[in-house]
Amino acid sequence: MFSCFLKSFKLKTTYRVNTFIYSVKQLPIIKSLLKNTLYSNKPLKVLGLIFSIILELIDTFLGKFLYVFLIIFSLASIYEGESSNSVFIHIFIFLTIAGSFMNTYMFNPTKDKYYAMFSLRMDAKLYTLTNYYYTILKVIVGFLPFTIIFGLMSHVPLIICLIIPFFVAATKIIVASYLLKQYEKKDQITDENHPLKGMWILTGILLALAFALPYFHLTIPLIPSLIFMIITIIFSLTRLSYLNNFNKYKEIYKIILTEGNMNLASYKTNNTNIQKKQIEKQINIKDNVTSNKHGYAYFNDLFVKRHSKILLSSAKKVTVFALIAIIVCIIIIKALPPLALEINNWLLVMLPYFVFIMYLINRGQVVSQAMFMNCDHSMLTYGFYREPKVILNLFRERLKSVIIINLLPATIIGLGLTLILFVSGGTDNILEYPLLFISIIAMSIFFSVHHLVMYYLLQPYNVNSEMKSSTYQVVNFLTYLACYWMIELQIPIFSFGLMTIIFSILYCLISLILIYKLAPKTFKLRV
Amino acid sequence: MKLIINHLTKSFEEKIVLNDINFTFKQGKIYGLLGRNGSGKTTFFNCLDQDIPFDEGTFNLIKDNETNTLQLTDIGYVLSTPNVPEFLTAREFLKFFLDINEDKLKEKKTIDEYFDFIHIAEEDRDKLLKDYSYGMKNKMQMLVNIIANPNVLLLDEPLTSLDVVVAEEMKEMLKSIKKDHIIIFSTHIMELALSLCDEIVILNNGKLEEIDRKNLTDQAMKDKIIKALTEEK
Ligand SMILES: Nc1ncnc2c1ncn2[C@@H]1O[C@H](COP(=O)(O)OP(=O)(O)OP(=O)(O)O)[C@@H](O)[C@H]1O
Ligand SMILES: [Mg+2]
Repeated sequence: MFSCFLKSFKLKTTYRVNTFIYSVKQLPIIKSLLKNTLYSNKPLKVLGLIFSIILELIDTFLGKFLYVFLIIFSLASIYEGESSNSVFIHIFIFLTIAGSFMNTYMFNPTKDKYYAMFSLRMDAKLYTLTNYYYTILKVIVGFLPFTIIFGLMSHVPLIICLIIPFFVAATKIIVASYLLKQYEKKDQITDENHPLKGMWILTGILLALAFALPYFHLTIPLIPSLIFMIITIIFSLTRLSYLNNFNKYKEIYKIILTEGNMNLASYKTNNTNIQKKQIEKQINIKDNVTSNKHGYAYFNDLFVKRHSKILLSSAKKVTVFALIAIIVCIIIIKALPPLALEINNWLLVMLPYFVFIMYLINRGQVVSQAMFMNCDHSMLTYGFYREPKVILNLFRERLKSVIIINLLPATIIGLGLTLILFVSGGTDNILEYPLLFISIIAMSIFFSVHHLVMYYLLQPYNVNSEMKSSTYQVVNFLTYLACYWMIELQIPIFSFGLMTIIFSILYCLISLILIYKLAPKTFKLRV
Repeated sequence: MKLIINHLTKSFEEKIVLNDINFTFKQGKIYGLLGRNGSGKTTFFNCLDQDIPFDEGTFNLIKDNETNTLQLTDIGYVLSTPNVPEFLTAREFLKFFLDINEDKLKEKKTIDEYFDFIHIAEEDRDKLLKDYSYGMKNKMQMLVNIIANPNVLLLDEPLTSLDVVVAEEMKEMLKSIKKDHIIIFSTHIMELALSLCDEIVILNNGKLEEIDRKNLTDQAMKDKIIKALTEEK
C-alpha cells in the first residue's frame, strides 16, 4: 500500500510540475526563452517535489482553516445570546453532513486519477483505497488544530473538539460506502461535481437547518451532539470493511472519468471516447430539428438549435429570473414606500454595477467555447472552411445569433430597470429613461461582440483541444477584472449611460474592422 | 501541372524535421510517401497546407504554363484522424458544403449520388456524424475533399481504418481521379504503397528521396525501401 501511495504521489508531483512548466511556457514572452528540455531538468524536478509537498500542506490545512474560521466560527458568533458552543457544534454537524455528499473525494473526477488508473493502469482498487485513506487522514489532521483553537474559543469542551475531526471523516466514509452500495444495487453513480437534483435539495435543507435553527434558538444540545458523533464514528468503522471489500472501483471510475467531466481544454484527448461523451452532453438532438435556410445561415442555425441547452434555454432561464426579480422589486417598492426612495437613489448612480451583471449573464464565452469544441475544432481542419470568405460569412451569422440570444434577457432587464426607476420615484431628467434602457442593451451587445471577436482573433486551441495560447485567458481575466471593478463605481445614469453607449458603438466598429482585416489569418487551429 | 517545392526547411526548436527539401510532384501520378514514425510526414503535409509556420521554403504550382504560389484552395488535405462536425448529420454537412461552394463546383450531383459514390448506406445518411464510426467519418472527410476537386490532394494514412472492401473502392476511386490531380499519399503499409502508387518517395533524415522502381520485383523493391529507411545520416 505504501509503495502504491509513493507511486501516486510521484505521479501527482510530475503532473503538477509539468502542468506548471507547460503553463509558464504558454506565456507570450517567456515562451521563446524556454525549451522543451525543461521537462527533464533535474533541479527543477526537486524544486517541483518541494513545491508539491507545500501544495499538499496547503491543501491539508489552509482550506480547513478558512472553513472553520470563516464559515463556522465567524458565523456562529453572529448568533448572540445563544450559548456559542452549541451553535458552533450545531452548524458544524449539519454542514459536515451536507459536505460529505458534495465533497466525497472518492467521486471527484480528477485528472491524476485518470492518468493513474487508465493511462498507467495502476490497480484501481489499491490506488483508490490508498489515496482515499490518505485523504481521510488529511481531513483528520487538517481539522484537528482548528477545531481545537476555534472550538475552545467558542467554549466547546476539549473532548468534543478532539472528536469533531473524526466525526467529519466518519460521515465521509459512511456516505462513500452508501454511494458504492447504491451503485451495486442500481448501477447508478454520479460524480460529485454534477450532483443529482435531489442532492441540491438535501443540501439546501441541511444548510437551512444549520443556519436557521439557531436563529430560532433551536440547537442540538451538547450531550446529544456528542452521542450522535460517537455513534457515527463507530458506525463508520463498520463500513470500512465494506470499502475494503468492494471490488468495482474500476467500473465506477470508468463511468465517472469518461463522463468528460475533466476540464477538456487542457486535456490531451487522444481518448476519443471522453471527447465524444463531452460533446454528446451538449448536443441535444430533438428529433426533427431542421432548418430551411441556406449555406452559412443553415449551418449556424443548426448549430444554435442543437445547442439550445447551453444557448437559448439558459438565456430564457435568465430572462425568467430577471422578470421575477423585477416584479418582486416593484412589489417591495409599492408595499414599503420608505424603501422606494432608497432604491431610487441607488438606481440613479448604480448603472456601473450592471456592467458586471450584464457580463455575468452574457453567454458569449460559453458559446464560443461550444463553437470551438463541437464545431470549429473539426471544421477548421478543412481547407474550404478557412477561406476568408467562409470565415467572415460565418462570423456574421454567428454574431447575429449571439447578439439576439443575449438581447432577450437584456431587453427585459433594461425595461425592468426603467420601470423600477419610474415607480420608485422617477428622475428629473426625462432623458435618463431611454438612456438607462439603451445602455443596458448596449452593454449586452458589447459583451456579445467582445467574446466572439476575441475568440476569432485569439483562437487559442489546437486540434487536440489543448490551450496553446494564454493571451485569450489573460484577456478574459482582464475583462472580468474590469467588470468587477465597475461594481465600486457610482456614476449618475446620464453620464455613465452616455459613456457606455458611445464606448460600445466605438468598440463594435473597431473590432469589426479588425475582424475583417485579421480574422482570416488568426482564425485557425494552433500548433 | 506540377507542384514544385523549393528549400523547405522546418524545425521544432533544435530538432530539424524537414531539411532543405527540393522536390517536384507531377500531375497524373499517385505518390506514396513512406517514412518511419516521427520522420515528419505529417509535418510535411502541414507545411504544404500552411497549417504551421515553417522556417524557409516556397511552393509553386505550374498549371497551363503559368506559375503561381500554392493557394489554400489548391489543396485538399485528408487528415489521419477524421474530423467531422459532430452536431450535423452527414446529409446536413454535405448540404452545407455544397451550398457554399455552389458557384465553384463544375459537375454537380445530388447529395444522394455522392453518398452512393462512397457507399454510405441509406439509413446512415440522416444520422448525426457523432454516431458515425471511425471509418465512416474518414469516408466523409475524404468525400468532402474530393468533391472540392483541389489540384493537390494530400492524404495522411487514409486507408488504414477502412475495411477491405471500402479500401479497395477508395483505391479505385483515387486511381480514377488521378489524371487531373497531384495525389500525395502517406502510409505505413508497403503493399498498399506498391500496389496503388506510381512513385515511391521516402522521407528520411529530413530529406525526400524518390526510389526508382524500374524493373524491380515487389520483393526487391521492398528490400530497397527498408534499406533506404534504415539509412543513418
Ligand atoms: N508541435 C510539435 N512540437 C515539437 N515537436 C513536434 C511537433 N510536432 C511534431 N514534432 C516532431 O516532429 C517529428 C515529426 O513528426 P510527424 O508527426 O511529422 O511524424 P510522422 O512522420 O507523421 O510520424 P507518424 O508516422 O508516426 O505519423 C517528430 O519527431 C515529432 O516529435
Ligand atoms: Mg503522422
